[in-house]
Amino acid sequence: MKRLLALAAFALTCGSAHAQAPGDVASDLPAAVVQEQITVSSDYRGSFVTVFGVNPDRRGRGDIVVVVRGPTAPATVMRKRRVFGLWVNTSPVRFSEAPSFFAVLSNRPLRQIASPQSIWRYRLDPAASAQLASAVPAGADPSAYRAALVRLRRAQGLYQDYTRASTARRGGLTMYQGGLFRAEVRLPANAPIAQYYADTYLFRDGRLISSQRNPIGIERVGVERRIHDLATNASLLYGIITVLLALAAGWAASVLFRRS
Amino acid sequence: MIYLPIAEMPVNVVLVLLVSGAIGFVSGLVGVGGGFIMTPSLILLGVPAPVAVATGASQIAATSFSGMLAQTRRKAVDWRMGMLLSIGGILGGACGVWLFQRLLHLGQLDLIISLLYLVLLAGVGALMLAESIAVMRGRAMKGVTVLRRPIRSLAHNLPFRLRFPRSGLYISVIPPLLLGFGVGALAAIMGVGGGFILIPAMIYLLRMPTNVVIGTSLFQVLIVASLIVVMQSSATHTVDLVLAALLMLGGVVGAQLGVRLGAGLKSEHLRALLGAVLVAASLKFLWDLVLQPNEHYVLGGGLW
Repeated sequence: MKRLLALAAFALTCGSAHAQAPGDVASDLPAAVVQEQITVSSDYRGSFVTVFGVNPDRRGRGDIVVVVRGPTAPATVMRKRRVFGLWVNTSPVRFSEAPSFFAVLSNRPLRQIASPQSIWRYRLDPAASAQLASAVPAGADPSAYRAALVRLRRAQGLYQDYTRASTARRGGLTMYQGGLFRAEVRLPANAPIAQYYADTYLFRDGRLISSQRNPIGIERVGVERRIHDLATNASLLYGIITVLLALAAGWAASVLFRRS
Repeated sequence: MIYLPIAEMPVNVVLVLLVSGAIGFVSGLVGVGGGFIMTPSLILLGVPAPVAVATGASQIAATSFSGMLAQTRRKAVDWRMGMLLSIGGILGGACGVWLFQRLLHLGQLDLIISLLYLVLLAGVGALMLAESIAVMRGRAMKGVTVLRRPIRSLAHNLPFRLRFPRSGLYISVIPPLLLGFGVGALAAIMGVGGGFILIPAMIYLLRMPTNVVIGTSLFQVLIVASLIVVMQSSATHTVDLVLAALLMLGGVVGAQLGVRLGAGLKSEHLRALLGAVLVAASLKFLWDLVLQPNEHYVLGGGLW
């Protein structure tokens, strides 16, 4: 009976886990982000997200995992196949949601910190966060599509992995004395402008002990913001302005060059 | 480097100006809108495909307007013909946008676009190259200009005939309307202005004199591209004003230089040049379709 109850409880928490901070552990891990608001102006070329915190365990036991997540959005992955000598995109597979940005950092390899079940449950891996929307075509391997999604997004700098010991790039998780830690992630300029979350997890002996969720807002300011607002709120006017600008540019060039 | 508000990425200002200037130059020289080079170039620079397609249209509008003004001063625009082609183009563009969405839904837009580019660029390019080389050879041998225009074509025999004084034609309105429709539809599907199809079609199908062909096609391209900008702005929010301004600046300056140089060249030379450009572009598409890719998976979700 006890075992049955535990199973039911597990099933319930699995269903509600849904990328949010897990409900069955304390979300009291002392952690914060350095910059809660990132502004995007015309000279924006990406930025850094820095999370710092303290491992509350006095003897310093446990492992820290930091995940920086962007909003989820649908994605499609297609496979190139040769048809009549031409390479064409075939067999599209849709993901109903995939993180638009995903960076995971840890003080040692993730597989040594958490079980595969935990990685899947708390979505510590970009592949674990991608939800398939449709059945894959006959003969295709769903995990190959998942892996391809992660590989392609990683090539764009949108998925980052700082869980291995040797990372030459700037960024990663650094542990200091007294349980202090600092995580740094490079946010590339092509990462979408949206609400981000930095989730910090404390694992001990493969189990999640506590966690913390910190929001990070990215916002346009100045001219960037005005142009974007006009394009979304007064799109017809925006289109007409663009055409008028085009006509003005064409006319100006024509007049200037006639005189010279 | 400047950050683009809609494309959500930074670009190198000098690089974008150089690319758009070079494309504008070719555009002014031979009278094409340049979209069929511009859109792939922007995608190569990392601009998301939907933004590249929609924003490219605004640059096409600027370039074709500046080119058209230059042609107007040389009295090289057949307004009546241009209006007919534009009416067809607007209707065709609307149908093209619908077809575009259908193909996107079926997931085969990529293939259709690549094949269309391949067939159209290669076919039209080869035709123009062969014809202009034949003319140049004939001239070299005989020392006289070969009269290219025959007296009559199909366009002369259909009903609803109209006089086109600027072109010296008295033909039916049906072929220009159909031509405008077809070009408008193709333009919407391929994300280009369509001048590279329109110009040869006007020369070979409508039998218009070469000196009014460029100005008239620029007029039609201007109307269709302007409409596409407004439609894309209100429907998909993919027009980037900052990128558009950069492309316009480079494009119009390049186009003016191109027009200037083009005025001093013989028309068969221009056509040979355009033919060579088209064949080269089609080889690029063939190359991409035939070559074994490194990565067997691609991310969809865009327009290409």
